[in-house]
Amino acid sequence: MKKIANYFKDFGYAVAHGDIWVKLSLLIMGAGYFGRKQIARGILMTLLQVGVISSIFGVFMPYLSKLNTLGTVQREEVFDILTMKKTVNDYDNSLLILLFGIIGVLVIVAFIALYIGNIKAVYRIQKMKEDGEHINSFLDDIASFKNERFHITLLTLPSIGVILINVIPILFMICIAFTNYDENHQPPTYLFTWIGIKNFVNLFTTSQTITFGYAFVRVLAWTLIWAVVATATTFLGGILLAQFINHEDTHFKGMWRSLFVITIGIPQFVTLLLISKMFGDSGIVNTFCSNVGITEFFRNIGLLNPGDSFIPFLSKPGWVHVNIILVNIWIGIPYQMLVATGILMNIPSDQIESAKIDGANKFQIFWKITMPYVLFITGPSLIQSVIQNINNFNVIYLLTYNYKTTNMAMANSHANEADLLITWLFRLTNEYSNFKMASAIGIVTFIICSALSLLTFSRMIGGDKEGVYR
Amino acid sequence: MKKTWKIIGRHLFLALLVFIWLIPIFWLVVTTFSTQKGINTNHFFPEHWTLSNYNWLFFHPDAAGNFPAWFKNSMIIGTASCIISTCFVIMTAYAFSFIDFKGRKQLMSFSLILGMFPGVLSMIAMYFILKMLGLTDSVVGLIILYSGASGLGYLILKGFFDTIPTSLHEAAKLEGASEATIFTKIVVPLSKPMIVYTVINSFLNPWMDFVLVRLMIKSKDPQDWTMALGLFNLLQRALVNQYFTYFCCGGLMIAVPISALFIIMQKFYVEGVTGGAVKG
Repeated sequence: MKKIANYFKDFGYAVAHGDIWVKLSLLIMGAGYFGRKQIARGILMTLLQVGVISSIFGVFMPYLSKLNTLGTVQREEVFDILTMKKTVNDYDNSLLILLFGIIGVLVIVAFIALYIGNIKAVYRIQKMKEDGEHINSFLDDIASFKNERFHITLLTLPSIGVILINVIPILFMICIAFTNYDENHQPPTYLFTWIGIKNFVNLFTTSQTITFGYAFVRVLAWTLIWAVVATATTFLGGILLAQFINHEDTHFKGMWRSLFVITIGIPQFVTLLLISKMFGDSGIVNTFCSNVGITEFFRNIGLLNPGDSFIPFLSKPGWVHVNIILVNIWIGIPYQMLVATGILMNIPSDQIESAKIDGANKFQIFWKITMPYVLFITGPSLIQSVIQNINNFNVIYLLTYNYKTTNMAMANSHANEADLLITWLFRLTNEYSNFKMASAIGIVTFIICSALSLLTFSRMIGGDKEGVYR
Repeated sequence: MKKTWKIIGRHLFLALLVFIWLIPIFWLVVTTFSTQKGINTNHFFPEHWTLSNYNWLFFHPDAAGNFPAWFKNSMIIGTASCIISTCFVIMTAYAFSFIDFKGRKQLMSFSLILGMFPGVLSMIAMYFILKMLGLTDSVVGLIILYSGASGLGYLILKGFFDTIPTSLHEAAKLEGASEATIFTKIVVPLSKPMIVYTVINSFLNPWMDFVLVRLMIKSKDPQDWTMALGLFNLLQRALVNQYFTYFCCGGLMIAVPISALFIIMQKFYVEGVTGGAVKG
């Protein structure tokens, strides 16, 4: 709070104590530089000002003015009998209004920040002149971008990329969550408008017509179980495998590792699709199981109904969950093995040696020395991988894109038992154009993920760990 | 004697694990030689062996399968976004690691928060934007999407930069080197292995991605597809009985170079991943 207050106080101070050139800069942003003979900088600044202001009024104003309603004039086509042509009225496009509205607001905010910063800079130059310090020429300014201001040179392009590809879309989708943009309100033919938090209310309601609450609880529960179990199994499995290969009795360590690594090299959309076919209802694994008698055995012990002729590996709830986890172990362990190998190589061997001398057995060493060390190092990245698994689209979607749910309440909200939040929102948009609910689900996912990351946040950049290794 | 048996048992166990891990891949390989075009659900090995599937894959694109075009598209997208993202990542990592500018920590926190937003969701918005610009179904649009926000993936490389002694940086400054000179003449050459790792990662990210193309490409013409979308489409119900071997051939062809790359790159991977994990 104090920082913000100071920000504006400095601005007020600069205006009050500035000379005529500073005060002129309030109107023409380049004026302050002209007054100190920084002509080129002054011209650039003024041009920027003219450009931004004219774009605000020329381009963004029509959209900004409709931002509160997102448009009122619906598209209408009139067929003119005389000219045999269709004429379209001057309609509003809610999508464009929202998008350009957001960009317009961002431009205005950025411009205000630039404006305030400019006044302060001009005032700073005035002080420098009064104190008789050297004032940068235009060439000095350019040179400074290779030195004191090198970070600006480096970060400008990446930042623009992030703003365009990340920030604007995120703001846009957050806004969509508060509108009624769905299959019945699709621009350009139809308008959509603000409806407040109704989507979030729907997301948590279960009634005769709305089953989102019912589906949401189930999908969320499975998402969390999946994320924790998937992370834990691959992590533990990876460490055990790495330990096993690293053991002094194992020969050809490199070869074993490489054999596992082959599976990482194949893109997931190939391996997962392949596996989904192998485990299909009439896939090769089912043929194998019924030939060997496993299907029969499952029927006898009651895992399958008497009438079932195949094992529904990826097509019945329960079965699908277990198999997804198993396939994920297959996918994830080789990668975790590589990570763990790197960590285990750095483990302080003196600790293990002294434990051995003290008579500790292998299991004690593993649980009391190896695991705490590995957990200490990978703690933050473990939570990161839980988050990644919450958003693990590939494994779920590629394995179960043909899954049909028999639960009507789930089907009503276009979810199924195998869905994670992320695949659910993907299907809602890609197949059902229900953008409003997808955005609401996305925001909830974001909240869950950021709550989880708060746990590691301080460790990642807050502390002074950065300098430790220098 | 007991010890010998133990060692043999250990290797047998590993062999068993490797066997389990390689079954699907083995199946992929043998299916590429099958004369039966659909899925062979009765036998693991094909009944009749042939090489004609590869001929079909490389030289006879048809209405549903156009491997050469997919390969070309994926290659262009992968290479272009690899170049752009590598530059972005190196630039961002350097700025955050070596330059102590105002607002640095805030920017880093902000970038972390951005990274937590589900990517699929912002991609939906990007679809609208690209549609407005007429860039959906185009290679250019995908390159922009894959590389634009890549600056956010700076953490691992920054972790590595953090281990380069600051004294080196300061000494160079005393000698009168500008930040730009230190960046290009000292830090980048010093970090070659990590930069190779970054390059490979930035290439594989678009190469292996599926969800984004699925969202962005709505064209019905196989010419416009990438590898991921094309292969996925072949497994649709209507096509799978004609194109399963084609799918397997295609999958194998793109997997071989990458697997080889991974085996060679194991070491970098181990260092890269753990380096980032330790130093945040």
